[in-house]
Amino acid sequence: MKTIYPLFTLLILIAAPGYSKLSVITTTTDLRNLVEEVGKENVSVEAIAKGTQDPHFIEAKPSFMVKASRADLVISVGMDLEIGWLPSIIQGARNPSIQHGKKGFLEVGLLVEPLEVPKGAVSRAEGDVHPFGNPHVTLDPIRAGEIAGKIAERLGELDPPHLVQYATHAKAFQTLMASRTKEWKQRVAKSGVKSAVTYHKTLTYFLDRFEIQNPAILEPKPGIPPTSSHILDVIRLIREKNISLVLVENFFDPTVTDKIKNDIPALRSKTVAVSVDGRPGVRTLGELYESLIQVIEGKE
Amino acid sequence: MTPVTKIKIFAVFALILAAQESQAIAHHNAAPGSQAANPVIGANFLGLYLRGPKLPQDSKQVPHNGFSLQESEFSFSSDVDPYFKASAVFSVAQENGQSEFSISPEEVYFETLSLPWVNLRVGKFKAAFGKQNSLHTHAYPFIDSPLINQQLFGAEGLNEVGASAAVLIPASWFIEIIAQTFTTRNEALFNSPNSGDLGGLLHLKNLWDLNDDITFEAGLSGVLGTNSADQTASVCGADLTLKWRPASGGKYKAVSFTTEFLYGKRKEIKDSDSGLSAEKITGLASWLQYQFAERWWAQGRVEKAYGISQFPGSANDFKVSTLLGFFPSEFSGLRMQYDFHNLASNTTDHTLGLQYIISIGAHPAHAY
Repeated sequence: MKTIYPLFTLLILIAAPGYSKLSVITTTTDLRNLVEEVGKENVSVEAIAKGTQDPHFIEAKPSFMVKASRADLVISVGMDLEIGWLPSIIQGARNPSIQHGKKGFLEVGLLVEPLEVPKGAVSRAEGDVHPFGNPHVTLDPIRAGEIAGKIAERLGELDPPHLVQYATHAKAFQTLMASRTKEWKQRVAKSGVKSAVTYHKTLTYFLDRFEIQNPAILEPKPGIPPTSSHILDVIRLIREKNISLVLVENFFDPTVTDKIKNDIPALRSKTVAVSVDGRPGVRTLGELYESLIQVIEGKE
Repeated sequence: MTPVTKIKIFAVFALILAAQESQAIAHHNAAPGSQAANPVIGANFLGLYLRGPKLPQDSKQVPHNGFSLQESEFSFSSDVDPYFKASAVFSVAQENGQSEFSISPEEVYFETLSLPWVNLRVGKFKAAFGKQNSLHTHAYPFIDSPLINQQLFGAEGLNEVGASAAVLIPASWFIEIIAQTFTTRNEALFNSPNSGDLGGLLHLKNLWDLNDDITFEAGLSGVLGTNSADQTASVCGADLTLKWRPASGGKYKAVSFTTEFLYGKRKEIKDSDSGLSAEKITGLASWLQYQFAERWWAQGRVEKAYGISQFPGSANDFKVSTLLGFFPSEFSGLRMQYDFHNLASNTTDHTLGLQYIISIGAHPAHAY
């Protein structure tokens, strides 16, 4: 009889879904942090891309398929950001619950207002253009808050007993981001920085939120590495528009700015994290936005 | 080119252009509708320039000295319904010994979407044998496939009509078992006289993440079926792959090392020229791929093959290849390859190859 009790307890634990956490896989570390903020102790979450990797180009390692095979929910940005690798992972996972159209699959990018949606026909002659708009939506704290709300809704559908908790946590995150955005805007205004050059159009949503112009990109076209003639054009533009700051996303080669700094010694050029875990000390979206604001202020 | 071939090629192009147009409209408007259900369509165009003293000058031979249109691949894929996905790759390539091009279905199959842990596939597909055989031409690590693969499976690889089950085993690492049964039409390995004969294949694939930067893969494969002598033909193989791509800075550097061993036994098969036994063939190919800049790769391959059928029982084939690849974007590539080939007849050969690879439309991710 004594041997039956532990077995009975084990069976109950296995059979009772309420005792197990929701298993969530996200494509990026930013989305992972949003799930952490919303799901807290009721979810376990892992990201596929590292914060130091370019999310456009992730290799579809079979180990990701193993993780996705056990997931209750896969959350991606969509907007073709992960088009080159996520479909292979989803198919290789052999998990019917996370297929497109199922509750276990959520694309969040198009649930918020997109920027840079191309007008007219899309051609690869223009580089790696995203037909649905710029996919780096989580770089805007307000849109990140909206996405947290969408994640809360889906977590609530999959785990109804904690629906209210998820909604409450999402609301708290939105409120925090709204209040911090006001503070960050004041600090950006005080810094006097009105425009910045970036390597790729990764920071579009962040710069748009904080009303910083982005008149030049180091890539001649999205996804095409900088050329000497294009760098000369950028230098000319920096001089014309009196731009004082170049931001290089952490997965790109920062040495491309050496020529620009030689020509314009007063220019500040910084390599910045553009994802959670993009560098030590950036473990949340709040810390990510704060680190970017500090770079703009010249404190880093 | 015969009128029938012309009509076939025209029909394929018309279908592709019509679907591409509607697909572009669907993408542009980003609106769900009837066009959103169109298949995803892509095409790869491969061209070659070869120069080698032993290559034929006759442009009807494949391969031959000079320029050639190596292959064009047209791919279509789409979810059929909530249960199945269908994929097709049609290849347009020159027939050996002719100046004409022909269309052949390289892969045409449907597979399950809604089964847990297992993927079932029915149709024509590349057999899941080792690393090289399941690749399409545009994804080959080198311009050509290893000698032993060419000898055992033919120039186009082992590619048959049948059914496949790929099971993901629940474990802490990636472990997959693939069981396949298919026709035995492959001319190099089987060429079975009976259309009802079925071959069988088993493939075991393991992959471990040693850390965030390094993966190690080990695979075992075995295939058997009936050959032209109505006897058993079998091949077994083993493959190992070590890949390094750092999580930080991985856009600019990566290394991959693969080694693949194949052992083939084809009962009562004789060499067509010499009449000597060509039953047993063994070969090993090892290659290193080094990405040294965002768009540049340097590669090397060493091969050894025993019992290549042209010269059975004599010395071994030994081949060394080096390759330099430049990829302006993920949709275009230029590769230059030099081969030194010490043939089993104790003569040597040198070949220089230049290749372009162009992709338009959708381009599904290559297998890791």
